[in-house]
Amino acid sequence: MHGPDVSWYLALSGLMFTIGAIGVLVRRSPLIILLSVEIMLNGANLALIAFARHFGHADGQVFAIAVMAVAASEVVVGLGLIVAMGRRNIELDVDKLRTLRG
Amino acid sequence: MINKPHVDWFALSPTLALIGASGLLLLVSVLAPKRTRKPLAATIAGAAFLTALVFAIALTDKSAHGAAIVADAIFRDRWTGLAQVLIAGCGLVAVLISYGERWREEHVGEYYALLTAAGAGLVFFVSASNLMTLFLGLEWFSIALYVLCAIDIHLVGSLEAGLKYLIIGAIGSATLLFGSALVYGATGSLGFDQIAAGTHAHSGLLVGGLAMVIVGLAFKTSAAPFHMWTPDVYQGAPTPVTAFMAAATKVGALVVTARILVTAFPSEQHLWTWALAGIAIASLVVGNIAALAQRNVKRLLAYSSVSHAGFMLFAIAAANTLGARSLMYYLIPYCAMSLGAFAVVAARERELGAPVTLENLAGFGWDRPFLGVAMWVFMLGFLGFPLTGGFWGKIYVFSAVYQHGWWWLIVVGVVATMVSAVYYLAIVRSMFLRDSVELALAPVGGAPSREVALSIGVAACLVVTVGSFFAVQPLIDAAHAASRALPF
Repeated sequence: MHGPDVSWYLALSGLMFTIGAIGVLVRRSPLIILLSVEIMLNGANLALIAFARHFGHADGQVFAIAVMAVAASEVVVGLGLIVAMGRRNIELDVDKLRTLRG
Repeated sequence: MINKPHVDWFALSPTLALIGASGLLLLVSVLAPKRTRKPLAATIAGAAFLTALVFAIALTDKSAHGAAIVADAIFRDRWTGLAQVLIAGCGLVAVLISYGERWREEHVGEYYALLTAAGAGLVFFVSASNLMTLFLGLEWFSIALYVLCAIDIHLVGSLEAGLKYLIIGAIGSATLLFGSALVYGATGSLGFDQIAAGTHAHSGLLVGGLAMVIVGLAFKTSAAPFHMWTPDVYQGAPTPVTAFMAAATKVGALVVTARILVTAFPSEQHLWTWALAGIAIASLVVGNIAALAQRNVKRLLAYSSVSHAGFMLFAIAAANTLGARSLMYYLIPYCAMSLGAFAVVAARERELGAPVTLENLAGFGWDRPFLGVAMWVFMLGFLGFPLTGGFWGKIYVFSAVYQHGWWWLIVVGVVATMVSAVYYLAIVRSMFLRDSVELALAPVGGAPSREVALSIGVAACLVVTVGSFFAVQPLIDAAHAASRALPF
């Protein structure tokens, strides 16, 4: 097999997952949060593909393709909700979404 | 030539019935004339859940020997079958509760289409036998539920609930996915059975993956400390959706948690039993203490569902057949009680046109005696009072952890139950035991049309809650047959 060892891919995917997680925690715009979640999912995808190549079978790649389709549909729902909130002139800031409190 | 796997259509029938109905309902929502849309859509959705229920019962009956089918993608056994029966039953009651909602006139077809799609996703999710079907099933019902939470698009609270659930749910799924990738990297396979059989050369990867899988599933079971979305989403979502989520999602997530841990990670049992015990104790502490401070009844019930997740995680943490059996049994009255309690809340909400709090429940028990008494029974059931199935559920869970040798968990559980009496009885108190000055202040409900569908749903929940106390033997036998599908 050519290219770097699987551990490098794993390190990169872990880094992507961490960057995404930090983005979710510190950013306040729901749009950027959705973007960060996508980075987390793609970090996991990279790990799946790297392992699939390492083992020499296709299971992980099939999984990654399915995840891409699922992630896209999840983002569609998220963007739909954000558009609906934008139309109602709700400020897009997750810290200010505090209608529901106890 | 591609080798196609043999497809066992019968095993897929509950899923297919529901997803087929979902497609049909989308057509109804555009083709049927506006007047007939609501009764037609509700009838189709109800019929679909009923069909799925019948198929699931037949499937449970005919799957005494569990096996992985369709290229080892899903399990056909009684553990799956019984969980599918429960989910389909929850869906049927949810349809009955939904029928009376007034605002749903314009999106009524889409609402039922999403409800059946969520049901189909859950029914598929509980049959998962590899990490890919697990993830796909999880996302399938989750995405449908995100939209359902936000379907009351005119209300800010509903939109907010949908967005919060989506963001936190997506974080949970991403964690589960990354955990799955690590487990795949450690063992080289995705199937639960193969993971258990695989070599554990990189045990660090496997343990990390296992931890992330547990966290990802804990988000869906709404166990502390991964419960922070629960009160907000339960409060903001339309009440019938909350009822369905509280019951059916919990069945799916807990049944799958038990399955994956026992089937795929038997050699890490010493790790996950402790992890689950920790999560369960956290859920009991957080759920019960936070519930004490709530005035909004939906939020209160949300924290109560967090604490019940704790009890049911005890059953999984016990890691023995008795635990699996008690989990399956506990879920039966638990589903009935949650659906019933939220149905009563929905009825009061429709009368008042405002969120239900402990204050405006005042006098409800005298106004609507049937619903009041039903709510009383559900609260006693949550508490684990005899004459309700909740009693046997708790007894079985405690005996499972005792068998594991963890008597101190029983102490935690009993203390938690005593604390929970305060807020469960507070609901009963505000319905019946208010003095006349307070009752005079209670808003008059007017005269809403009697909701036959909702009353039937509540009556069904009542029958199951009380019936599961008296019919404990056949139910525990069914749960026992289901638990034999898990390799302990």
